[in-house]
Amino acid sequence: MSAAPFPSSGHLQPHRLRGGLIDRSRPLRARFDGKEIGGFAGDTLASALLANGNRLVGRSFKYHRPRGIFTAGPEEPNALVELRGDARREPNTRATTIEMFDGLEAASQNRWPSLRFDLLSINSLFSPLFSAGFYYKTFMWPSSFWERVYEPLIRSAAGLGRAAGEADPDHYEQAYAFCDVLIIGAGPAGLAAAQSAARSGARVIVCEQDFAIGGRLLADAREIGGVPGNVWVAGVVDELRGHAHVQLMPRTSVFAIYDGHTYGALERVSDHLPEPPPHQPRQRLWRIVAKRAILAAGAIERPIVFPGNDRPGVMMASAVRSYINRFAVRPGERIALFTNNDDGWRTAKALSTSGIDVAAVIDSRPEAPPHLKSLCPGIRVITEARVSATKASPLLRQITVATRHGSESMSVDTLAISGGWNPDIGLTCHHGGRPVWNEHLAAFVSGQAPPGLAIAGAANGRMLLHDCLAEGSEGGRIAAEDTGFAGSAITHAHVDDETFAVTPFWHLGRGKAFVDFQNDVTVDDIVLSEREGFRSVEHLKRYTTLGMATDQGKLSNVNGLAIMAALTGQAIPAVGTTSYRPPHSPVAIGALAGHSRGKQFRPIRLTPSHQWALEQKAVFVETGPWLRAQYFPHAGETGWLETVAREVRTVRSSVGFCDVSTLGKIEVHGPDAGNFLNRLYINMFSTLAVGRARYGVMLREDGLVFDDGTTSRLAKDRYFMTTTTANAGPVFQHMQFCHQVLWPELDVQFVSATDEWAQYSVAGPNARHTLAKIVDAPFSVANADFPYMAVAELKVCGGVPARLYRLSFSGELAYEIGVPTRYGDALARALMQAGEVFGITPYGTEALGIMRIEKGHVAGNEIDGRTTADDIGLGRMMSAKKDFVGRVMAARPALLDPERPKLVGLRPLDADKRLYAGAHLLPVGAARIAENDQGVITSAAYSPSLNHWIGLGLLVRGAERIGHTVMMVDFMRDAFIEAEVCAPVFVDPKGERLRV
Amino acid sequence: MSDMVLSARSGLEQLLLPGNYGIHTNKPGVVIALRTDLALASVMVRKGKIEDLRLRVHDGFGLMLPLTAQRADSGILSFTWAGPGQWLAATSGKTPVSFEAELRDLLSGLASVMNQSDGRCIIRVSGPKARDVMAKGIPIDLDPRVFGPGDTALTLAGHINVHLWQVDAAPTYEFAVFRSFAASFSEWFLAASAAFGLSVVAG
Repeated sequence: MSAAPFPSSGHLQPHRLRGGLIDRSRPLRARFDGKEIGGFAGDTLASALLANGNRLVGRSFKYHRPRGIFTAGPEEPNALVELRGDARREPNTRATTIEMFDGLEAASQNRWPSLRFDLLSINSLFSPLFSAGFYYKTFMWPSSFWERVYEPLIRSAAGLGRAAGEADPDHYEQAYAFCDVLIIGAGPAGLAAAQSAARSGARVIVCEQDFAIGGRLLADAREIGGVPGNVWVAGVVDELRGHAHVQLMPRTSVFAIYDGHTYGALERVSDHLPEPPPHQPRQRLWRIVAKRAILAAGAIERPIVFPGNDRPGVMMASAVRSYINRFAVRPGERIALFTNNDDGWRTAKALSTSGIDVAAVIDSRPEAPPHLKSLCPGIRVITEARVSATKASPLLRQITVATRHGSESMSVDTLAISGGWNPDIGLTCHHGGRPVWNEHLAAFVSGQAPPGLAIAGAANGRMLLHDCLAEGSEGGRIAAEDTGFAGSAITHAHVDDETFAVTPFWHLGRGKAFVDFQNDVTVDDIVLSEREGFRSVEHLKRYTTLGMATDQGKLSNVNGLAIMAALTGQAIPAVGTTSYRPPHSPVAIGALAGHSRGKQFRPIRLTPSHQWALEQKAVFVETGPWLRAQYFPHAGETGWLETVAREVRTVRSSVGFCDVSTLGKIEVHGPDAGNFLNRLYINMFSTLAVGRARYGVMLREDGLVFDDGTTSRLAKDRYFMTTTTANAGPVFQHMQFCHQVLWPELDVQFVSATDEWAQYSVAGPNARHTLAKIVDAPFSVANADFPYMAVAELKVCGGVPARLYRLSFSGELAYEIGVPTRYGDALARALMQAGEVFGITPYGTEALGIMRIEKGHVAGNEIDGRTTADDIGLGRMMSAKKDFVGRVMAARPALLDPERPKLVGLRPLDADKRLYAGAHLLPVGAARIAENDQGVITSAAYSPSLNHWIGLGLLVRGAERIGHTVMMVDFMRDAFIEAEVCAPVFVDPKGERLRV
Repeated sequence: MSDMVLSARSGLEQLLLPGNYGIHTNKPGVVIALRTDLALASVMVRKGKIEDLRLRVHDGFGLMLPLTAQRADSGILSFTWAGPGQWLAATSGKTPVSFEAELRDLLSGLASVMNQSDGRCIIRVSGPKARDVMAKGIPIDLDPRVFGPGDTALTLAGHINVHLWQVDAAPTYEFAVFRSFAASFSEWFLAASAAFGLSVVAG
């Protein structure tokens, strides 16, 4: 799009009228398809386009038919444009909802090479081919064509507009709000409701999707208490703004009603600006929790279906009034009105009041009520008539009016149509409520509304202004009262008279009569759908795409249902409606993501040594919510494997340390703490001596292994247990469940200590020498004083409280040392210093993983929710002297089956070959089919200690097959090698290093 | 014998350095201070000892342990409800170890006590826009009609578990955040407060 500056002159707006609710003191300039247009504050892009004479604004989805502006609201099906440029380009933006701003740039879409001359409109000539179900019928076979031919073809032809294709530069945020009474829609009913609820003292939030408050009172020339409707609106708005407990939210669409009285709303914070001001979001997604809500969303005028009803220049009658009264725009020079109801006549009156030439009022009803005729003196009225055809090139220039007496043609440039009003009840269906047909209105009204939601005004089928005000006011009073605030409904002063009567008029003739404008669904498509058996409304919708466009059927659904009802000889209520689900109006994905984007996608947990590890240029890996150091590369190392091999060799030959603070840590206190642990773990903890640690395994209730870790006894009534990093949360939840539900009689208390302690594993033959430099006298780390599995509370580095645990995951002489987290960073630096003479290395999760595989320790790969304790070589830990969670279910025959795969070690027969985790194990020579599958490699690593690949696996009767050869089968990586089954401990099988 | 010295490092000091953030304004809408002066401990009642415990706490500290989501505060010592039978005790002017030992000693047999001084970061939030910032990530109603001084809640802030309480009607709030989440929390807080201007002051 052109970035040229706007010329300072020349924004003639030849179609402006006097008056209106635009601010003529604030002229604005915009560009549409590169051409400058002028407007004023208070305009929408649509009204500015009309003011400048742009009546052709887009091409339709399937047939690329020329389309104009059809409505003045969020239901707009035709005037979809690309707003802004570059990374901010937003396709399918409704021109009727885009607030004008200086510098606005927009472009028409779905046309090539230009809007006036679009090559793909040739589709229209072949429209019989593109009828309902076209894709299903055409792109059927051969199936090999689907991916290579059909899908690219459909994708290139389908869709509207172009996505920006770049990261959205703007920020979106989310917020919560709470109130007693939420008012959805600030038209007459909503404002009346807000006024009476606010006066009672209740906390009130008023959401209005428009940037201007007032609803139809801005568009219809009405009087309340002797003042124009918009003046009354201004008075109410002033009053509401004066209440501290009232929040008025324009530009905010309530798009969903969720459980628990929660409403989803989208506030367009900066959409009316060229770009968001610094630190402001583009949009804000609100979750509003309201004890009571009043839906006062009004009604949406229904189109009439007739051949050629999609021509640019055909416009909803209510929209014509909006453009005249609110935006001071003349939609056309010579306008005819086609209506089936009283309300449509108000447009004729608005036209004649503004001095616009009215060609005729065409009323489908046999008689036009005299009081309506008197509204528009001197205007030709044709009753019992319909529009049977239109001509356009590409703008509307002629209509044909058919009556019983014949037909006549009429030159017009605009046709206003009114088929009655549909209460805007989509939100009322979000809890499964079904709309109910109302004969009097010839429209659906709400069936069962979600709890806490009342409906007022036109949304509730009250089509007269007086009724809207009265019902709104009473609704506000009741809602406030329900939430504990006494008030009284406000009696509104005299309202000018009106009537509402409609006689439905459903088209059944042939020709290109559009039902869903945006998706190009015509009457013929519905006829075809019925003929081919897709008669249920849900089938009709999917087969024809009726109601599946961005307006979600707001304009088209009732017409489509009525036509199907007529075709099948049913009443409209028998046909029913499709389900309305959130969102009621389009919501940008960015708003749903909010702050949770990029590195803020989800909260992350950082280890105590994170800053230090950053300084060491560690490579990090996400492990659950944690970001952990994966390895610590040195300059000159060529890849991760070289780095990790060095880390492993350094630990096994000298000393290394690793931040293990991510392990779940739980302090378990109380007289029954030992008993509680006995019931959680398969092995005994009540007998653990103070100052000692023990490895424990816990099962789920179903007898399969849940988690493992070491637990230390710090005092008679204090234990310190650890869980795996991944299961820290679930284990804590499990403990709460067990205590609160299963054994509330136990006197035990527990609390998470994960964040309280920075904990490092210090491992290797020189671990003791390193720690000797850290601990304060008189503590002795000598083997005799502090043997394997000992635990102590002590002081380190001159008085810092610490805990030392002689535990080993690596298989080396090793300790875990914990200090209060504030000292964690400093301890990492101190360990580096203390171990410097030994060549100490920090190591990350990769080396940790390799060393545990070398040592045959099970981890998440083996404890995968499908293995029993016996499967992974821990069966002998199961105590027979006590009960514990999972004991009974672990004895199910299938879990005791000797054919179950058991933990084994694996080494490739050819030491140069690689083992893969996930590969399957089959007998040598057996066909590579699932029937011969005998197990799987759960963990594999290159062992720097043995200089070849090693693996842990689960193999049928594994323990009995040590020394046998099996075939590793990996179709994913095309690897098929022979491996020897061995004991699952590759380094120091006798465990001598642990105890030195 | 060690000759090394370990220096303490707060969970947030390096992340929220004193200064102004967000829009440039003379009157920042939000002011935060890091409470690095507090010692914290979890206090969990032993089975059936709630009345004895409340009496002991009252006799020892002059505070009545709240049984609902409330906070008892004497100015230098507070007990904030943290779930049924659980409180977060906080004090200034004591070391974490001595505070834990004092509570464990005084409440012996009546409550389990665990030092939490390093597990949580405490952040004090005030300023005219404090509530507006909090609304951007905290799914509870903080309107003065509903939540006032002395009230506490265990909830979420920007999808992060927090324990928060209101200190006064200014309004001033304090948040306890698990230390490992402090960086994510501060990122969320900076983003949420940028539009109002944020001032970080020394604790």
